Amino acid sequence: MTTLDQKPASSEGRKDPWSQMLQKVGKHQDREAYHALFEHFGPQIKYYAMANGLASHAEELVQEVFVSIWRRSCLYDWRKAAASTWIFTIARNQRIDMLRKMQRTSAEMPVETEDLWQIPGENENEPVTSLHRLMSERRIRESLSHLPEEQITVIAKVYMENKSHQMVADELDIPLGTVKSRVRLALNKLKVILQDQNV
Amino acid sequence: MTRHHPDSLSLMEYSAGNLSEPHALCIKLHLDKCSHCRSRVDTLDSLGAVMMEQQPKVTVSESMFDSILSKIDSEPAAEPAAAAAPRVSALQKLLGEDLNSLPWKRQLGDVSVLDITDRFPGQKEQVVLQKLAAGGKAPAHTHRGEETTIVLQGAFADQKGVFNQWDFVVLNDEDEHKPVAVGCEDCITLSVLSAPVKLTGTFTRMLNPFIR
Repeated sequence: MTTLDQKPASSEGRKDPWSQMLQKVGKHQDREAYHALFEHFGPQIKYYAMANGLASHAEELVQEVFVSIWRRSCLYDWRKAAASTWIFTIARNQRIDMLRKMQRTSAEMPVETEDLWQIPGENENEPVTSLHRLMSERRIRESLSHLPEEQITVIAKVYMENKSHQMVADELDIPLGTVKSRVRLALNKLKVILQDQNV
Repeated sequence: MTRHHPDSLSLMEYSAGNLSEPHALCIKLHLDKCSHCRSRVDTLDSLGAVMMEQQPKVTVSESMFDSILSKIDSEPAAEPAAAAAPRVSALQKLLGEDLNSLPWKRQLGDVSVLDITDRFPGQKEQVVLQKLAAGGKAPAHTHRGEETTIVLQGAFADQKGVFNQWDFVVLNDEDEHKPVAVGCEDCITLSVLSAPVKLTGTFTRMLNPFIR
């Protein structure tokens, strides 16, 4: 156990200014906080859209994400997810939703995007807030800084360019097994692989 | 082969939003019941957030913020109660309340199937529900390509173990198995197939429920 893991969850959550601001938006429809979130996350989401092939819809995606943030902010609970994690999942879901709508005639969507991809902290059955979850982002930033570049490259392609492991292998011209082992090494460091059985 | 829980690579593809809809459904159904995997996905979602924050900066115009404001002002105020209303699960939307009363097609012996591929328009994989009558046996088979399965009701066992409700299994062409429904309920599974199942016993072609 590192000292990082021993800090109480509450102080960690309260220290994150973005989570505080998102909470203000949810509780008081605070537009100043909303604007601060836009200035911080708007450019990130725009880059995200551009990186994964939605360049001509990048600003549209930013708008959709922020409208969605406004609407659902009343459900946000800083004890369950950091604002940046919550906002990432909203951006991901809006991207998926946008692509689904582009690829489909409007009638044909029996299952909504949010039925398939969850937003953290919105599962009503969630019994307790885990300490581990609140530590996540800080620990991940710290762990990432120690990962070899080749592992970070693969992860970035999966998350930012939305490439499957196979597509990453094709693009980097390396075997699929190499891509998978780089990801596993990275996830091992990030402690996602705790109880995997056959890796 | 992955048994009982999705492996980290699949969860990462889920978190990144790169899975097909049927595959995402299998993961989501598992996550709804497995806090351990939910916590793994939370960590992966945080990895996504950190990746997003570490990318090059681009600019967004202030006028965009104004148009966002006018958009939220033109909508009725958010109703916390409505937003927090319990959602109908994806499974209920797709299949209704009662799995047992679906229009099952009896195949051979103890096995019934229902192809629901058409509920996922535009997706490449075949999506099939399979029902193995309580105590019943399925014929030995392997899997061409990869088959992702989640147990929706009851339980089944094969030579590798027992799979209970909401357990997650990925099988490929190296996994020959002969599942048996255990317990007093029919075992119902949802499978996403990248290629049809291949029977390994005799009468294979005739009996294969997946050859059309």
